[in-house]
Amino acid sequence: MTRAAGSDSACVVRNNVTLAGVETGRPMLFAHGFGCDQSMWRLVAPAFAQTHRIVLFDHVGAGGSDRSAYDFERYGSLDAYAEDVLELCRALALEDVVLVGHSVSAMIGTLAVREEPDRFRALVMVSPSPRYVDDDGYVGGFSAADIDELLESLASNYLGWSSQLAPVIMGNPDRPELGDELTNSFCRTDPDIAQQFARVTFRSDTRAELADVRVPTLVLQCAQDAIAPRAVGEFVHRAVPGSSYALLDATGHCPNLSAPRETIAAIAAFLAGRG
Amino acid sequence: MSSGRSEAPAPLDPALEASAEELYEDAPCGYLSTLPDGRIVKVNRTFLDWTGYAREELLGGRRLVDLLTAGGRIYHETHYAPLLALQGAANEIALELRRADGTRLPVLLTSLLKRDADRQPLLIRTTVFSAVDRRAYEHELLLARDRERDVAHVLQRSLLASEPLRDPRIRVGAHYRPAVDTLEVGGDWHDAFPAGEGRVGVVVGDVVGRGIEAASAMGQLRSATRALAGAGLGGPAQLLERLDRFAAGVPLALMATLAYAEIELDGGAVRYACAGHPPPLLLQSGAEPVVLWDGRSLPLGVDPEAGRPPDGRLTLASGGRLLLYTDGLVERHDEPLDRGLERLAAAVGALRSRDPQALVDELVETLPQDDTPHDDICALCAELRSGGAA
Repeated sequence: MTRAAGSDSACVVRNNVTLAGVETGRPMLFAHGFGCDQSMWRLVAPAFAQTHRIVLFDHVGAGGSDRSAYDFERYGSLDAYAEDVLELCRALALEDVVLVGHSVSAMIGTLAVREEPDRFRALVMVSPSPRYVDDDGYVGGFSAADIDELLESLASNYLGWSSQLAPVIMGNPDRPELGDELTNSFCRTDPDIAQQFARVTFRSDTRAELADVRVPTLVLQCAQDAIAPRAVGEFVHRAVPGSSYALLDATGHCPNLSAPRETIAAIAAFLAGRG
Repeated sequence: MSSGRSEAPAPLDPALEASAEELYEDAPCGYLSTLPDGRIVKVNRTFLDWTGYAREELLGGRRLVDLLTAGGRIYHETHYAPLLALQGAANEIALELRRADGTRLPVLLTSLLKRDADRQPLLIRTTVFSAVDRRAYEHELLLARDRERDVAHVLQRSLLASEPLRDPRIRVGAHYRPAVDTLEVGGDWHDAFPAGEGRVGVVVGDVVGRGIEAASAMGQLRSATRALAGAGLGGPAQLLERLDRFAAGVPLALMATLAYAEIELDGGAVRYACAGHPPPLLLQSGAEPVVLWDGRSLPLGVDPEAGRPPDGRLTLASGGRLLLYTDGLVERHDEPLDRGLERLAAAVGALRSRDPQALVDELVETLPQDDTPHDDICALCAELRSGGAA
């Protein structure tokens, strides 16, 4: 894979874009969820590199993105992340895009395709949840207190982050090997940013926007997912008009890592019109 | 001191620590082995003692996530499991286990992924260390940090608050924007106050550093400026000379910068001075904004004996305005100050129809670019309403 350093667009550097695959192929844009970075796609994206143009990136605040671009006010809602996705598409002149979003990025994708439906060929939602907190008959799986507990977990887990290290890591975006020597580097984030991204993610409510998705959509649901249970995936499937639904025999919230073959097969079948 | 001849150590008892099973079962940490899908397949006695579960209960299909709190489950799924898959290990993850009796045990988990010959995940081995004391201590530290932050913000807000000027001859608007990339308070301040009979003092200043000490130094300088302005010293230069001596006794006030101006409410005569601070802007109706370069000298406390140069002087016409601000409004790391001043003058020119408060609100919110989020920003605009020079 190549780093897209040749492009002079600020957002390409800001979002640490990695390009691979067939340059003339249909673009597949992979968006990682809350927690780690674009490495989440490392077992899935290569499978499409022979047929598609692969575009990977880190959300601002995550992975190798430019931390100084993280504005606490701007990134106070998912809309800013959706704007970033659209900005990347424009900067890289991506048309007819297959947008693959994991977890919260399935919702970021929802907001993006809603904004510019003509730019997208399809939306693949991996383990989506439009609302994590239970709400008046809706079962999201968590209570508000659970989310506070998560914020506490984040506060007591530094994952290789310290203010001494931050300048070294962040000041050398061209030397990722510096970061790789450090433990837990894939999920390293500034604790304040992690806290805010968690709040934005787990207190979001994107249920109403699902009905506006006008591009062919695949909902990928794991059989046992502690974060997005089956009822939630089925809700998303019902809410997105004409969507396809695939239930993966996988455990956990990250089938892109725990069941990459099934994940690839389901996406490939959907893209081939068999999903 | 020894006799010089060391005694041979006693021979080890071969039966001591010979049992691998006992080493495992009664190790000083919990041991867990889980399948890639999380199901527990082996657990040691220490873990069972700590958590109160029966062995068969855990080996009957329970997964590690089932033993976590709801928040911990999310953390497990979004960080722990991905890390294991990506780097084959996850180190020192802090989570809470739910014991059989419902109480919680703070633990540190470290896991290693064992793969089969085809590199497929086979098994995850996890050590569990009790972290009760460590977590309690960390909690204290976090609380202390949050408390300090809160105190600093309350302190800063109270230091910036003061009775607004009530004189129909002058209108003052001011805006303070904290740095966006840090929760620490900064040392920028603004103020407007009576400075003797028929005269008003306006000031914008900037203390070096961040946090509660910077806020406290800011408060001292702000009060001192007010007090000195009311003492009838003669003008801005004399005020700066007194502030120099004051700053020498307040550690963080050293190197603070400020722009200070005194406005005669009848006639509009203005005297101003800048101690190491960006120059004020003059806005007279019907004219382009003018950068005020007179009355400039070093930041506070650098050379208290040197004295200050003569004040800059001008006359505000009715409707004329002075704009004072801190460097965060104009500075960018990749360009000289002149460019920032040009940008400011252009923005101010475009906003000239706004009242002073709306003007500074818009300037502070729109002018700084995203590459300067590390600095707090402050701006003050004073407009002479009537009684100025015709």
